[in-house]
Amino acid sequence: MNGDLPPKPVSGLIDELTADLEPVHIMRGRDGMALALAALAVTVVAVALIAGLREGLMSSAPPSFFLIANLLLLLLGLAAATAVVSMAGPRVGNRHDAPKWALAMVTVLPLAALASLTGPGQLTHALGDDNYGWQCAAYGSISAMLVAAALTAWLRRGAPVSPERAGLWTGVAAGALGSAAYGLHCPIDSMAHLGIWHMLPVAVCGALGRVALPPLLRW
Amino acid sequence: MIADEKTLSRLMAASQRGDKRAYATLLEEASRWLTRYFRRKIAPEHLDDLVQEVLVSLHRKRASYDPARPFLPWLAAIARYRWVDHLRSAYRRQEQALEHEDPGEEGGQEAVLARMSLDRLLENLPIGQAEVIELVRIEGHSIAEAAALSGQSESLVKVNIHRGLKKLSALIEKAE
Repeated sequence: MNGDLPPKPVSGLIDELTADLEPVHIMRGRDGMALALAALAVTVVAVALIAGLREGLMSSAPPSFFLIANLLLLLLGLAAATAVVSMAGPRVGNRHDAPKWALAMVTVLPLAALASLTGPGQLTHALGDDNYGWQCAAYGSISAMLVAAALTAWLRRGAPVSPERAGLWTGVAAGALGSAAYGLHCPIDSMAHLGIWHMLPVAVCGALGRVALPPLLRW
Repeated sequence: MIADEKTLSRLMAASQRGDKRAYATLLEEASRWLTRYFRRKIAPEHLDDLVQEVLVSLHRKRASYDPARPFLPWLAAIARYRWVDHLRSAYRRQEQALEHEDPGEEGGQEAVLARMSLDRLLENLPIGQAEVIELVRIEGHSIAEAAALSGQSESLVKVNIHRGLKKLSALIEKAE
């Protein structure tokens, strides 16, 4: 084989690909993040219009647990979304460590919630008597759909080389941002409620993303 | 001689704007680079197919290249993705059709080179997984032969190949 010339069948392919060339719109990271943030903004507006924002959100200082839980979810969602956006443009040497640390940070909340419920019957009581628990987990997960769709569309246009990891972090990003968005409606501020039910969408959407998205992301 | 990184990045950026001359040059340079890259990582009879698959992928996914970044790490990530994909599909075909076939002697020298270079990526895997991937995918042994040579059971060979390929796909961007 001649070392200076590409093999003949490859030359034919090069001619075909060159003839097919059209200008493309470059996938820049800022465009991907803008897409994810736009999806989040639409989700927040939808929560406000459909469910309504919690009372006093704009007029008084929000309780600290509400702020801590939702800001941690927001940070996790943004860290995971940033990783997902960069996964669309692969590169040997890329590292996607930020969402791992953010997830570890957020995991403190459910652990603290469970640790606070170690007394006899407290956990059962907290889970069984929280009438809004499943509602928050379910609507938080549903609120994740738009962000998940936006990130999936972005990845499908790009070239993710680890579809499993991309699917997982898409789910985590969508679950965290969706739960943070729905959190603007939820009036309950207890550690147990926020630490368990508002974190559940992250786990559920992460698992769903890991299982369901890879077939859509392979190319 | 293959163009340097700066030239390739410039050619790719021009290609993204629709410059066909730059694109033809880029594809030729990429083809040469890929031929060398894969020559150490795949059996010679699959080399052309794999190079062409990566060129098609480059074409389809050219919007995902950020011209502010180097070109070769992007191309290498796509090349690795296609390479692992190729190992997976070739292994599936082999399981179905070549279970009892003799591996033969053809291309022995090339296969040794391929195996040596593949070691650089495979060293990220546990020894048991790397060993059976090499035996079955690079050297062309059957599952039964790989089991006898590695001292693993046939089912463990299959599990280790499956897990090893899965892990390799997770290392595409990480492995240097």
